[in-house]
Amino acid sequence: MKLAELQRYFASAATSGSGPLPELERVFFGSKQLSAQARLAIYNRAYFYRLLDALASVFGHTKRLLGELEFERLGLAYLSRHPSEHPAVERIGRAFPEYLRVTGAPPLIVDLASLEWARLCALVAPNPASIASVHAIQPSQFPEARLRFVPSLHWLELDPRVLSAFAGEQLDSSAVAALQPACRVAIWRSQHVVMQQAVADCEWQAFSHAASGATLSQVCSVFDSGSAAEDVQRAFRVLSGWFARNWLEKVEHGQALAI
Amino acid sequence: MRRPANQEPPLSAGALVGLGLRVQHYDALSSHGLRADFAEAISENFMGRGGRAFSVLERVRSDMPVALHGVSLSIGGMDPLPDTYLSQLAELATRITAFSVSDHLCFGTFGGHYAHDLWPLPYTEEALEHVVARVQRVQDRLGRQLLLENVSSYVEYRASTLSEWEFLSEVVTRADAGILLDLNNVFVSAQNHGFLPAEYLAALPRERVRQFHLAGHSDAGSYLFDDHGSPVSAPVFRLYEQALERFGPLPTIVEWDERLPELPVLEAEADRARALSNARQAAFREREP
Repeated sequence: MKLAELQRYFASAATSGSGPLPELERVFFGSKQLSAQARLAIYNRAYFYRLLDALASVFGHTKRLLGELEFERLGLAYLSRHPSEHPAVERIGRAFPEYLRVTGAPPLIVDLASLEWARLCALVAPNPASIASVHAIQPSQFPEARLRFVPSLHWLELDPRVLSAFAGEQLDSSAVAALQPACRVAIWRSQHVVMQQAVADCEWQAFSHAASGATLSQVCSVFDSGSAAEDVQRAFRVLSGWFARNWLEKVEHGQALAI
Repeated sequence: MRRPANQEPPLSAGALVGLGLRVQHYDALSSHGLRADFAEAISENFMGRGGRAFSVLERVRSDMPVALHGVSLSIGGMDPLPDTYLSQLAELATRITAFSVSDHLCFGTFGGHYAHDLWPLPYTEEALEHVVARVQRVQDRLGRQLLLENVSSYVEYRASTLSEWEFLSEVVTRADAGILLDLNNVFVSAQNHGFLPAEYLAALPRERVRQFHLAGHSDAGSYLFDDHGSPVSAPVFRLYEQALERFGPLPTIVEWDERLPELPVLEAEADRARALSNARQAAFREREP
């Protein structure tokens, strides 16, 4: 066998979820104490359980809700279909929330897994080049300014009970299966700590506009309810909150984009 | 392009025993720092990312030299060496002025995927040429020498025509690389495959061995398992003494990953290694005129 063939053979043996390959003894040495099959089984076990540990370290709350055995069953099935695509082992769970969804897990559990994955992404995101101050906006340039958000900021639409489940509150099994209207949640990293917060629909819309490159005047149009004084107050509250939470990397000035 | 063998910044005199940075110790590291001569960071835990991990790394780096140790380079693998990975590794090494960059002599990728394990290579001429070419490419990209660590293994290929130590020696000599000699891995593999650890040490080119690793293993009955989950065993410390005798007192990292104890326990383990290293250093000085 050539090197490439030997490596393919080894990888098949080490990552197979369905028992030993044929001809193992012809490729590897065994001994009286330990057959070639038993030796390859060490690698096979180590492969799956190392990755399962990595999955559990990211999806701890999902594991708690699913239960140890069900998490192991789903986790091992996921790992056999979704080998790692990233050199850092913690990223092994990139497709786990979607896997839970397509295999019919309750939406609440899928959402909890999505939240945990977003929290990991926020945790490991690159540092922002800078944190923008509200003073970075000149009043005369305000309407045309655009906002660039920090890399750690993520937004999700989630079952609102996910936040309770994440906080450790017990949910009964009938509640887990029931559907609830989604709420919007922002997840970000501040001072090395991952934060999350439910936000109102108008803030979600404003963020969607801003993240797609809209100018501040376009973003503020979201708050247009016909009452100028109230609209200004709401827009001010939302935008100043973004600065206060260190969500903004930079305030940029330039041409408006069509949205 | 060839690099001089000692391109990386040297450790300060007497700086010899270090510890690995682990996330479970970040609180202690942030508040008290690390009581060691140098630290070792797992490259992939810091490449291309920010946040607390990098802040801890910078905090430690302000106190002591840092060695980078990778687990996902897959130097023996058949997949192309990933460009992004090498860029991020080079950037990290520059940013923290890493005093060494190392990874394992193994493969850990398959069909574009990562095993997150250190799979043994067949020790053949074909594998030798393949690995040497890849080590040279990595060294050219990093602009520095790469240290290669021997791995623990549980299986041997019938196709191998060289011993592990012959293969390792040939790779580092032909590629102008260095050796990070893991003495626990030598001991574990020796038990699992039935060779003498002393024979392994005696066969390595003395001038290529640049660092040591020490760690614990567990006894699974019919084999030893390299789990880094316990103190360094007495036989491994004895092998360390033999290595100090043959290769001199080189920078040494004490590794611990599973069932990780509090930092003071690791620091005490490092103290044991330091005492042995210092004793060997004193013996060398006595021998010199």
